[in-house]
Amino acid sequence: MTGAPRRDAAHDPGDPPLRTSADLADWYGAARSAGGEGAAAARITPDGLAVKVLYTAKDAEDLEHPDTLPGFEPFLRGPHATMYAGRPWTIRQYAGFSTAEESNAFYREALAGGAHGVSVAFDLATHRGYDSDDPRVAGDVGAAGVAVDSVEDMKLLFAGIPLGKVSVSMTMNGAVLPVLAGYIVAAEEQGVSQAELSGTIQNDILKEFMVRNTYIYPPDPSMRIVSDIIAYTAQHMPRFNSVSISGYHLHEAGAPPALELALTLADGKEYVKAALARGMGVDEFAGRLSFFFGIGMDFYVEVAKLRAARLLWWRIMKEMGAQKPASLMLRTHCQTSGWSLTAQDPYNNIVRTAIEALAAVFGGTQSLHTNAFDEALALPGDFAARIARNTQLIIQEETHITGVVDPWAGSYMMERLTQDMAGRAWEIIAQAESLGGMTRAAESGWAKLQIERCATEQQARLDAGSDVVVGVNKYPAPEGEAVEIRTIDNSAVLATQKARLREVRAGRDEGAVRAALSALTDSARTQGDNLLALTIAAVRLRATVGECSQALEQVWGRYRGTAAGVVGVYGVLREGDEAWRQALAAVDEFARREGRRPRVLVAKLGQDGHDRGARVVASGLADLGFDVDIGPLFQTPGEVARQAIENDVHAVGVSTLAGGHRTLLPALVEELRRRGAADIAVFAGGVVPAPDVPALHEAGIVAVLGPGTTITDCALTLLAGIRASRA
Amino acid sequence: MNAPAAQPEGLSSPLGLAEGVRGGSRRALAKAITLVESTRPDDLPLALARLEELRPDTGGSLRIGLSGAPGAGKSTLVEALGQHVVACGHRLAVLAIDPSSAVSGGSVLGDKTRMSDLSRLEAAFIRPSPSAGAHGGVSARTPEAIEVCEAAGFDVVIVETVGVGQAEAEVAGMTDVFVLLELPFAGDGLQAIKRGSTELADVIVYAKADLDPVAATAACARMNDALSLLRPVSAAARPRAVTVSAHSGQGVAELWTELERCRDARAAAGAAAVRRQRQGIARMWRFIEAELRSDFVSDNAVRERLAEMEEAVARGEMTPARAANELLVLAGRRSG
Repeated sequence: MTGAPRRDAAHDPGDPPLRTSADLADWYGAARSAGGEGAAAARITPDGLAVKVLYTAKDAEDLEHPDTLPGFEPFLRGPHATMYAGRPWTIRQYAGFSTAEESNAFYREALAGGAHGVSVAFDLATHRGYDSDDPRVAGDVGAAGVAVDSVEDMKLLFAGIPLGKVSVSMTMNGAVLPVLAGYIVAAEEQGVSQAELSGTIQNDILKEFMVRNTYIYPPDPSMRIVSDIIAYTAQHMPRFNSVSISGYHLHEAGAPPALELALTLADGKEYVKAALARGMGVDEFAGRLSFFFGIGMDFYVEVAKLRAARLLWWRIMKEMGAQKPASLMLRTHCQTSGWSLTAQDPYNNIVRTAIEALAAVFGGTQSLHTNAFDEALALPGDFAARIARNTQLIIQEETHITGVVDPWAGSYMMERLTQDMAGRAWEIIAQAESLGGMTRAAESGWAKLQIERCATEQQARLDAGSDVVVGVNKYPAPEGEAVEIRTIDNSAVLATQKARLREVRAGRDEGAVRAALSALTDSARTQGDNLLALTIAAVRLRATVGECSQALEQVWGRYRGTAAGVVGVYGVLREGDEAWRQALAAVDEFARREGRRPRVLVAKLGQDGHDRGARVVASGLADLGFDVDIGPLFQTPGEVARQAIENDVHAVGVSTLAGGHRTLLPALVEELRRRGAADIAVFAGGVVPAPDVPALHEAGIVAVLGPGTTITDCALTLLAGIRASRA
Repeated sequence: MNAPAAQPEGLSSPLGLAEGVRGGSRRALAKAITLVESTRPDDLPLALARLEELRPDTGGSLRIGLSGAPGAGKSTLVEALGQHVVACGHRLAVLAIDPSSAVSGGSVLGDKTRMSDLSRLEAAFIRPSPSAGAHGGVSARTPEAIEVCEAAGFDVVIVETVGVGQAEAEVAGMTDVFVLLELPFAGDGLQAIKRGSTELADVIVYAKADLDPVAATAACARMNDALSLLRPVSAAARPRAVTVSAHSGQGVAELWTELERCRDARAAAGAAAVRRQRQGIARMWRFIEAELRSDFVSDNAVRERLAEMEEAVARGEMTPARAANELLVLAGRRSG
């Protein structure tokens, strides 16, 4: 490279190599005559970025950082000088299910099979700070992750895994204090000191208020927990990442790349401000902030996103006064997109995952989770998990891709796209700042609505066929063979956990536990001692996850998000489409005959807070002319039945994504029957493994609307099911 | 689907419905509200008969109207106020009206997500209803729904609506006391009064006072100054502004006391009965207008030409008055 002399080709005709406008005009002419008017038109992404058909040197003329080096500011090309040529990224597969023993066996097998670290998925009861014996969580225990109630579970979870050597990543945000404390105490009892521990705790509460909803407390006290953990780990756990600032869940909820990037970086900035506000110096903790992005199918754009992420974080941290390189460089974990996986033709998911993995690698990720191909059907099975891990091993060890650092650098396209991505994200960050920062932007529902609008538009494009998904809305798969999937016996897990809880409670010094818990409560009330330090003391004495959470809940209460939904977004994009017109007519006909519009309650049962599907469906059905009741999150079957009856709906649609359907859906049907409302039709949507469907029908569920169902098909199924239920 | 379970209240027969409502069945109450809201022509005589049966048990509640701009914190206030009202020993029904889309006719009814604690209480009943194209953002049959709730033994009924269009006047016109929610940042009291809805209000609430207590207190004080210049709705009750924080509970008990005071002052002066008498006459006219309109649009000759006429008016090819006249002629309401 020759540095970056800025040349204007029109005024310097003798000096190659920049193309002139005249040359380009010729090219446009040729493109149009070859392919028609649209052939040369740029594609506009959902973020509003233009991706052109042809890039030339002109596109790289005004780059702000045209020729930088990896391992040096602004770290656009990577945080380390030699990147994968020195050491490849860490293969870190997220997993966890049922009991601590079963998850432990899975981790040990994965480590033996080439995985480099452990990444723990907890069940939703644990996320939301309930012990397994709490009646509210009966359907959630062990269903979508491992159940952890006390340090005894943690010790089983990590049995035989040397915590001083193996790095551990834990996805925990709501009940982050007792879970992190449990890990620390389990290590201590293995003989490993806090200073030796390496790994990551997600501890990213802001995104929970936007998308995933596994929060417990209101935003302000939740931010205090985050900063207490940052402070504690900075002092005692120098090798441990205190926050994993996560865009992944925003991506999964429907945020396109620039929106995901912007909100994630804005979250990061908010955590830095919170830590600074309690008097820490920025370089004391910033090096232990890590990131986590989702990688979807828009290949070039995803690579550009990771490059832009490093540039922008450097810029933000410069503004915050950081000096140390470790504070200025963005290090990130990535996960291939779970949302891009399909239940239909599931082996296609292997290909999708490989392509997304490649984008993450070209983008320069530090660690990677590749999804198992059966994840749109159930929790990953052993075979699918092995293929997923091998996908990364093949890229690392067979392709020589790791031999070149940031190979896309210097591409007109990639450099332009990186800069445009950074520019668009920077605008969104400024918008969030103008709302008073991300705590306020998340609390007000602004951020959630931005994402939800994109998700709803995306659904409309898929249903209309303008976004292609092979095997789903184009080239439909023939009836395929059934894929073998993992099933969890939730009632067995529940029994094991309850027994262990009884044992733990029987064998401890009750007075000491109560004293430690009231110290926690006092600190919540008075802004006193570090909450993590106090929780470690309580957990050492065998206080449970539920008890520690309850100690804080006494002061702070349980938070409940209340963002309004989007309307009108879906319908606009389907206008004029034939299937849409037919569904509209069917709804109108129903309303004329019934004397009111079809009315459906879209409900979430149990502790599963993933509400993208529920909210998109609600929005689409309302645009079709349904009256749609949106139920609160985290309901019991009895509460949903009561709401269905009071609102006198025709149907209840339950969105289920976390494996609770086997217990919770039959319970709902039973509750309706008991109250004399058996004519209210119950439908299920979301992830329901095929083998479970007959049992659900048997229990009285009218229909199961799997992934890939269009809103219009969903509407027609609802109408037919309502009629049948009342016949 | 398996065989339907027995319906103990005998809801399948309309005759059992009124019994069920009186007997405290939630299912019967919900079904009765659906019946009075139904737009099916053959449901109307059934609805009128049920209302007649229930009549002896109606009229006994304190009817509270509650309105405010989107985002003013209505549902959150109802959640807090409702729990207080129930704790005082009352049985509370909430009728929450959400706007239906003018494009699709559908609606998203999300109020219960903000009232989940209230909705779990035995002594509470919450029914969201779509406005379904009725004027003013209130369901055409809300007054009838109020009566059904009264017959079911609810002695406090809150009607909650978004304060757009004519909604505030509509709600004030079907309730005993009317509460208006204001955002503390929405300009000074005089400006609010100029918008007109303030003069309908018995109590003006600055909710979300916890967000910015200083702004809320100041806005409340300015409003009280402005209100002192205003002629009260009735001589018996002068409107007042208060601040409430639904989150901390500050001001909730005071708001309830204020509402009871309004009711008692009006009753003592004989104004409460007069208000309900006037509302009865207005409701009669409302019903007539709604039914005439509904008959008109379901007339076959009108239905055939309506879309085309609307189009012609929209394009300016026909004056609205002329189009209206032609449609009235088609319906046989005018001679050509």
